[in-house]
Amino acid sequence: MSATAAKSGVATIRILMVGVGGQGVLTAGRVIGEAALAANLDVRVGQLHGMSQRGGSVETTVVIGAGESAFVGAGTCDLLLALEPLEALRAAPRLRPGATVWLSTARIVPGTVGAVDKPYPSLSEIEALLTARGAQVHTVNATDLAASAGDAKAVSAFMLGMLIGAGSLPIDEELFDKTVSAFSPARSRETTLRAYRLGVALQRKESGGGLGTA
Amino acid sequence: MLPQADSRNTGQGAPSRMTAQATGRQDPLLAGPGKRLLYLGNEAIIRGALEAGVRFACGYPGTPSSEITDGFARLAGHTGITFEYSVNEKIAVEMAFAASLAGARSIVAMKHLGLMYAGDPLTTIPYIGVNAGMVIVSAADPSCRTSPNEQDQRFLGPMVHMPVIEPATAQQALEMTRAAFEVSEQSSLPVLLRPTTRICHTRAPVTVGALRTGEVSGFVRDPRRHLPVPANAVRMRREIENRMTVASDLLGQPLFCEASGEGRRGVLAFGAAAAVCGEVLAELGAETRFLRLGVAHPLPEEWLTSELRGLDELWVIEELSAFLEDAIAAHCHRQGLATKVRGKRTGDLPKMFEYEPEVLRTALAPVAARAFVAPGAVDNGPQVAPRPPVLCAACPHRSSFFAARSALSEAPLFFNDIGCYTLGCGQPLESGDALLCMGAGFTLAAGAARVSGERTVGFMGDSTFFHSGMPALLNAIKEDVNMVAVILDNDVTAMTGFQESPLVDVKDGQITRRTDIVDVVRALGAKRVERIDPEDLPSAITAFREAWDYPGLAVIVSERPCPVFAQREGISTGARTVFAIDTERCKHCGRESCGQRCSQGIERAYERAMVRARSQETGAEQNVPPVAACATACPLFLCVQGYAAHIAAGRYADALELIMDGLPLPDSVCRVCHRPCEDVCVRAQTDSPVAINDLKRFVVDWADAQPEFPYRLEREPDHGRSVAVVGAGPAGLAAAHELRVRGYAVTLLDAADEPGGLLRYGIPAYRLPREALAKDIRRVLDLGIRFEGGRRLGSDFTTDELLQHHDGVVIAIGAGKPARGEVPGDGPQQVDALAFLRDDNCRISGEVVVIGGGNAAVDAARSALRRGASGATIVCLEARDAMPAISAETKEAVREGVNLRTATRVTRLTATGVETVCVRPAGAGALLPSDYDPVEGSARQLPATHLIWAIGQTADREALGPQPSLRWEDGCLAADPLTGQTSHARIFAAGDVVNGERTVTGAIALGRRAAWGLDRSLRGDAADTRQPPPLPSARDLRGRPGAVRIDSAQRAVPAEREASGRTSDFSEVVGVLTEEQAQAEAQRCTICGNCGNCNACVDLFGCPAFVQDGAAVRIDEKACTGCGVCVSFCPTGAIHAVTAEGGP
Repeated sequence: MSATAAKSGVATIRILMVGVGGQGVLTAGRVIGEAALAANLDVRVGQLHGMSQRGGSVETTVVIGAGESAFVGAGTCDLLLALEPLEALRAAPRLRPGATVWLSTARIVPGTVGAVDKPYPSLSEIEALLTARGAQVHTVNATDLAASAGDAKAVSAFMLGMLIGAGSLPIDEELFDKTVSAFSPARSRETTLRAYRLGVALQRKESGGGLGTA
Repeated sequence: MLPQADSRNTGQGAPSRMTAQATGRQDPLLAGPGKRLLYLGNEAIIRGALEAGVRFACGYPGTPSSEITDGFARLAGHTGITFEYSVNEKIAVEMAFAASLAGARSIVAMKHLGLMYAGDPLTTIPYIGVNAGMVIVSAADPSCRTSPNEQDQRFLGPMVHMPVIEPATAQQALEMTRAAFEVSEQSSLPVLLRPTTRICHTRAPVTVGALRTGEVSGFVRDPRRHLPVPANAVRMRREIENRMTVASDLLGQPLFCEASGEGRRGVLAFGAAAAVCGEVLAELGAETRFLRLGVAHPLPEEWLTSELRGLDELWVIEELSAFLEDAIAAHCHRQGLATKVRGKRTGDLPKMFEYEPEVLRTALAPVAARAFVAPGAVDNGPQVAPRPPVLCAACPHRSSFFAARSALSEAPLFFNDIGCYTLGCGQPLESGDALLCMGAGFTLAAGAARVSGERTVGFMGDSTFFHSGMPALLNAIKEDVNMVAVILDNDVTAMTGFQESPLVDVKDGQITRRTDIVDVVRALGAKRVERIDPEDLPSAITAFREAWDYPGLAVIVSERPCPVFAQREGISTGARTVFAIDTERCKHCGRESCGQRCSQGIERAYERAMVRARSQETGAEQNVPPVAACATACPLFLCVQGYAAHIAAGRYADALELIMDGLPLPDSVCRVCHRPCEDVCVRAQTDSPVAINDLKRFVVDWADAQPEFPYRLEREPDHGRSVAVVGAGPAGLAAAHELRVRGYAVTLLDAADEPGGLLRYGIPAYRLPREALAKDIRRVLDLGIRFEGGRRLGSDFTTDELLQHHDGVVIAIGAGKPARGEVPGDGPQQVDALAFLRDDNCRISGEVVVIGGGNAAVDAARSALRRGASGATIVCLEARDAMPAISAETKEAVREGVNLRTATRVTRLTATGVETVCVRPAGAGALLPSDYDPVEGSARQLPATHLIWAIGQTADREALGPQPSLRWEDGCLAADPLTGQTSHARIFAAGDVVNGERTVTGAIALGRRAAWGLDRSLRGDAADTRQPPPLPSARDLRGRPGAVRIDSAQRAVPAEREASGRTSDFSEVVGVLTEEQAQAEAQRCTICGNCGNCNACVDLFGCPAFVQDGAAVRIDEKACTGCGVCVSFCPTGAIHAVTAEGGP
């Protein structure tokens, strides 16, 4: 895409976040959007959802750059943040070659896997399928690491930390920190921020090769 | 007059979680002018209304509109806005109109479906005209993402006489909403703002204006204006035309119609499609005049005309229908414009669904300067298992549906409704046979019941009940419809985001008001109403059963707060426990050591019956569910309920497998078994036992009729060891079969020329046709068993000789030595029953007397009639009901003309026959003639030419020859009951030679056991991969009630030969069940036992806390919220509490 954001000259970035209802996908999308807006970037956040809280597939899109819609269509995704491996696979056709994928490896097996003739592929198969589309895949068990920070449910905060720690977003880190804090629910703010900071720290420590780059 | 806004009556609608979020930080919706914020389209609409000075807001939640009402709920206490979640959309529209009449600017929000429900008030409002501005927001849902249909509400514009506008961006949503109040107020018409899902749920930067507090000018009494009675309505209709002209002028501003770009070719895009279209045109480098339209009705005709004059063709890009395309084409025609209009009608654009960028890139290719190429491959990608939404762990709806489906074995039609519980449709709960709209759960059930005569069940939630279910229920009560109406009351409108239900108020974690639905239902006139707690599954199942059996309309109110809502609101539901699955019990039935294959799959109806049985059991938690009564009684421990289930499901090959894995002689046993299973069948407690052996016969006959016998034995490869089996009766055949399966070279020897033993020589052909026996024998011998006939142990060979050539020997020579009583006198010719039965060619005449009460006696008497006897009389010591013979056989004998002289003894032989005397037992356990006392004066003469002795046989010790190494006990060869091992380490024994029970099925079990014992002594633990049926004394004999699946009290009876014609030959008497009979009979099984294939927790209940791990199931302790419902139905009793969290 050649379009550029009107105010900052940043090339359009199409981000897709996928996961399972209840993992915090929608909040994560909003946080990136709010941080981008605070950074004076043009941004739209699409959060198509219905009964997403009932454990179904859920996605949110963030498009940073000029325009009016928040679509991340087939073959156009620059950055995929997947909180669940099967959901990453579902999103595979949306990736463009050279896209970066951040994948949390903790599986949430849908009830349909036993009933329909579609198995849950192994992690290495999923990675191979993503890599075959020209994506650079980073894997991490965000559930375990978030749990080590005090809250296994803070998966999305941990992954946002990884993302900003890796410098994958055109947003100043300090500004992003503030946004994460502002949009964490009061009763779990402390553990959310701890998980987020662990993500930042881990990624920075591993910078260069990146943590678990496939 | 409308009350002034205050926090007392306006704040209560806001869920407390929302006000909590606002604390400490200014609500973004109240940001100061000039700020740039990331608003959802829905939030931009709220802000627009706030900037227009709105004073009244209401609506009914529905995706994708819900955030509008939720936002107003949150703000109501702070901004002087009066808000309510109305009970339904019709009421909401009426409320907003009333507020407008009273002088307050008002907004009402809902999804597209809801506005149609408000059609009645809607169509008259433009006649009366609004006072203060009134905006109706009705969110459209192209592509049916969260709706049962996509519909184009723009048509309401011309129909209702109402302006219709649609924003393309969040910024426009704000500005159009603000402007809509002006348009409405100046034209006196309500304005319909129709955002689509894409606008509602996309966040985008919005620059906000100034907030304004509106006036409430009050209701001005004016009957001519406010009463649309016919006389006034005619005048009002005329006024509408002027109103629409005013609106049209106001809607001509650039906010609603904007043009850019140059060219003879034009692209006009409407609403949400305009945002995407603009981006796509840029990508394609299209040189066109680009028109963005935000108003659908009335059409801005002047602006259009001027634009169209400069265009050769105009592409109309609009979602859902060709509303504008048609209107513009008509306009061109009227104006005489030559512009060619392209769109859905011309096949240039898709007729339906949302216009995503991919759709428009393809459709607009003809106007492109360059082709768009996606950076990555555009394909469907890998096939990935879908992840549909599911009911949460501990959801009370799941328990309600589960209880209903488990209780109602009739599998009636279930009609569902709109709410979280819609997820009960489909697998695993199967609780929605049809679905229509809010409130239709009861009407669909009622309508179907009224015309079909079938009793039906309708479901709906509490909010839906108050929304539109009450009239539906009243309608059904009025007609006393043959249905069960179920109201799922969870205190909240959960699906759309936990909005308040009309029946409760929640404040600071406390429920401060509650309407009791039971009271409402009673007040509507329902005669039978029951309240249940769906987490008390046993009671819930009973309640559903009773409601089902009630003659007339029955209502169940299933009450349990949504646990997610309760948690959010801090309403305590008590301490929760986490549960786990005990793998020692789960997937174990108590029969799993038998080596039988039984993983052929499991029927849902079968699992439901198990669940029903288990949940109705008292003290279930302390009790390990037992093996079915029939299996415990069967010497072979056959899984009768398993093969009955397979038969009921039409899976006969699977049923055959279950039978033949444990029974090597099915053709024989399905005819001659003594059926101990039927004696203990729990179905007998209800009516009569299941015809178990007839079911077996059905399957075996079906298998014999197949082109290729549908059972394949899995045999161990030969390992070089060799054994000899002496005696080819049922025990010997079973032992030989089992040893061959275990990889031995087997030689089977018998004194007779043909194998079969008692089956061939002791059971007459009318009971066991020789062809049937031949099939069994052929299948056994075809495994590669060497048969040597005419070889008698003791005279032709000895066990020592056998042991020289074989690793082991099994002796199964039966009990062939006949017994005779001592009766004085001289008279009829005497013969032993077995000798008589054995001699197929023997013909007799005259009267026959048979002494004995067992099967041999009955067989001899019936055979005598077939061989020419003019009469046959059985004389036995026992009373009729104490006769050892199979009672069904005795009954058939009587039907064929055999006389019975029970409780009678032969005292003397005479020239003409015998002399008898009646006897009575001297005490309990009478067995021998001396145990019976004669009845004085009861002596009678009985004519007889032949006397057949059938008082039993004993094992023939002499037949073995001199065998000093083998020990005898009580006339039988002594053998270890567990292994069949005799006093000689390499000689094992089975069948009647070791056991006094003397049944064919029992002998087969002993044969299998001796084979295992021998194998074990030779190969050790390797023999245990396939174990014999356990000894009867080792089995758990506790039975339980089971569950009645079908009420038919009629036990199926196979066709039989007419009794009168039978005695002319030895053709088989009893036929086989028809397929229809067999399937019905199989369903009479109550499934009183356990099943290792059970997967009910996943197959039927489907709580997301259950994780299927290969064949095993475990509970994810993070997902388990501890409702404990699964404990009360788990058929294997495998679920137990592991930890208590936050307990007292």
